[in-house]
Amino acid sequence: MLQTAFNGLITGVIMTLPALAVTLLFGVLKFPNFAIGAMMTVAAYMTFALNAQLGWPLLLATFVSAVAFGGICIVIDALTFRPLRERGAITLMVASLGLGFILENIARFIYGNAARSFAIEIARPFRILDIRMNREQMITLGVSFLAMVLMYLLLTRTPIGRAMRAVADNPQLALVRGIESPRIIRWTWFITGMLLAAGGVLIGMDRALEPLMGSNYVVAVFAAAILGGLGSPLGAFAGAMLIGIVGELSTLVIPPNYRIGIPLVVIAVILIFRPQGLFGQPHIRK
Amino acid sequence: MISFLVLLAIVVCFSAILALALNFQWGLGGMVNFGLAGFYTLGAYACALLILKGGANTFVATLGAMAIVAAVSALVALVTLRVAEEDYFAIVTLGVGEMLRLASLNEDWLTKGALGLAGIPRPLSDVVPAEMYSYFLLGLSVAILLGTLWVLKVLARSPFGRIVRAVREDDLVAATLGKNVLWARVRIFAIGGAFIGLAGALHAFYYQYIDPTQFTNIVIAYAFMAVIAGGRGAHRGTIWGAAVVMVLLEGSRFLKDVIPALNSDQLAAIRIIIIGVGLILLLIFRPQGFLREHRLQVDLGDAATIQR
Amino acid sequence: MSELLTVSALHAGYGAGDILKGIDVALPAGRILTVIGPNGSGKSTLIKTLAGLLPARQGEIRLAGERLNDLSAPRRVRSGLAYVPQEYNVFRNLTVLENLKIAREFMGSGTSLGEEVTTLFPELSTRHKALAGNLSGGQRQMLALACALTVRPRVLMLDEPSAGLSPKYMGEIFDTVKKVNAMGVSVLMVEQNATEALRISDACVVLAGGRVRLNAPAGEVLGMKNLQSLYLGDARETTS
Repeated sequence: MLQTAFNGLITGVIMTLPALAVTLLFGVLKFPNFAIGAMMTVAAYMTFALNAQLGWPLLLATFVSAVAFGGICIVIDALTFRPLRERGAITLMVASLGLGFILENIARFIYGNAARSFAIEIARPFRILDIRMNREQMITLGVSFLAMVLMYLLLTRTPIGRAMRAVADNPQLALVRGIESPRIIRWTWFITGMLLAAGGVLIGMDRALEPLMGSNYVVAVFAAAILGGLGSPLGAFAGAMLIGIVGELSTLVIPPNYRIGIPLVVIAVILIFRPQGLFGQPHIRK
Repeated sequence: MISFLVLLAIVVCFSAILALALNFQWGLGGMVNFGLAGFYTLGAYACALLILKGGANTFVATLGAMAIVAAVSALVALVTLRVAEEDYFAIVTLGVGEMLRLASLNEDWLTKGALGLAGIPRPLSDVVPAEMYSYFLLGLSVAILLGTLWVLKVLARSPFGRIVRAVREDDLVAATLGKNVLWARVRIFAIGGAFIGLAGALHAFYYQYIDPTQFTNIVIAYAFMAVIAGGRGAHRGTIWGAAVVMVLLEGSRFLKDVIPALNSDQLAAIRIIIIGVGLILLLIFRPQGFLREHRLQVDLGDAATIQR
Repeated sequence: MSELLTVSALHAGYGAGDILKGIDVALPAGRILTVIGPNGSGKSTLIKTLAGLLPARQGEIRLAGERLNDLSAPRRVRSGLAYVPQEYNVFRNLTVLENLKIAREFMGSGTSLGEEVTTLFPELSTRHKALAGNLSGGQRQMLALACALTVRPRVLMLDEPSAGLSPKYMGEIFDTVKKVNAMGVSVLMVEQNATEALRISDACVVLAGGRVRLNAPAGEVLGMKNLQSLYLGDARETTS
């Protein structure tokens, strides 16, 4: 039980980064980006190339690929989403679906369907309070919490972060406050890309690298972000932890294959009883 | 070559039915079904299982598949009744679709998991001579496609169809029309679901063997491409869209003759990349479809709402 | 007298058809100009077009001689044309202090009104940490004004600043506008509460059907009994 809860905690922590990315992106661009799964996959493979193929340390490889992938996200946005910006959420969702197929299969084209793993030493698991844990899980915890703190500081203490929140809050008003939204959108994609890259690496460390590694998390990540009230960073964190722990605990009573059903049920329940999410404020939609 | 064309035409038929169903739910009702692949899986498996395990004949099994998918769709629409936001609805359908697909993979006792279901009988295969059967199946598919087209058209023009359009145009206006509108959403989604089930049944008959790998999310991309290429909201345009998409898709199988250096995984990946690129290019450059004028005369009421 | 903001033969609108059908307006430096007219006359469209949220289809907008037509909304604000929208004019999920900060951060270098602004809105300084969404309607309007003034604008445009406010705040808003004007900021304001707005104004433009029907000193318009019933009648019914 305690062990399962701990595993759930790790799953939840892994999901915080993509959930943050989703919530940030949704806040600023107002559509759910279904390509986040494939984006994590591609970024993870980029890290794999630097780490396992070029022999860089994983930390350095992750950092470099995160920055690079942030840049790639800006290019992706310019090519796919920017021309469609005025067309409404559905068009953007369909485009993100197509983008997901493209990215996932670029990874498949280059690396095939076989599972791979990063070049890291396998350390022996250790026990604390009778809970088995390993070094990767400790890294996961550390990286996620660090990212959370950095995100919090970015959003509240820097002009760019404040502007991102302002654009998410009221895009028209942001314009008349002198905020050039294209610039803020580029920043949002850059930060989203870094978060997704870090998330992808954590998933790859937890499981393995394969073309579907990111897509498997999409529904759960969206559930976490919705649970936290799309657009609320703190909520995304809480939502991810809850989905992770509840999802893992549920495997005690239902077959693990249907873990994905838990977030789904959670989404349905939230949407019925509290459409603005647990932490979100009711927002005005056009 | 002729037989290849006949088989291709059958594939076009059930893809067109699938696209028509999506068009009905999305193009007319404004409800995007991102779980299309899952519902399609459900239709195919329901049909196959009703025959193989339930001992039903093909006709009853087809109706059963339609009813089951319709019922599940109605349930999904019912649960999300209060969720007017299209993005939330899309996420829910995505999740449900994923669940249905997982069930087909994991419920070994029922679906034989990854092994799939083999030996699915075809309609009237004991009456029609074997060498003529593909022609018969083509005729049957065309007839069913035309029937689907007719039913959906009549529905779109009925008073019910007008409520449907009102729901799509403006949730606020629709809300003032009362509770019936909420039920209209459920009915739109269920009717669309029934036709997804029908397409699934035809899929099962055509392949005679189904397994979970036939139903990946790429199905959604095909169907969306067909609907967008044909012009959203237009029935006949959707069929043309489905035909073009499927011909291109099946045609791209010949890629392996052109680039022999690639292995089958890579070829599959390239085809899907092409589909993804095509979908995005279509959205950017041809959001109103290729058959705009045609579509206008088919359904004037939709001309103004394409740009939403 | 120099004209600070000039609008000539302006056409603008949404979708097919123009809402503004050739508007000529001039705001002399240091003055307050109020635009009135019945609902649907194009008042809000005019102010949104000037702010750059809606493209001008024909005609010209000039601020101190500089042509604004091709500038984006953010660049118009930076060139000194501040705008306070009617509703949703503060970032509700940001605190008061964050709203004030963000108003300055993206404006480039400009003379700050800093101190003067805080003296104008004493009520705000006590609520720096509150979420803007939790302020009262009057306080929100004050915050919106403060944000627009944080970087000294040349022209301040207000879209119905008194809409939905209690009488107490309504008087306060107009007093503040007068004080701001005294600090050297020219004001262009769209109002439904014509009488109160015209009392502090220098000039008045009456719009109807997307055209200028009258352009006269504010005092003169205030004195015209029948004109008020003609142009303001329906508008006053809806707001009183």
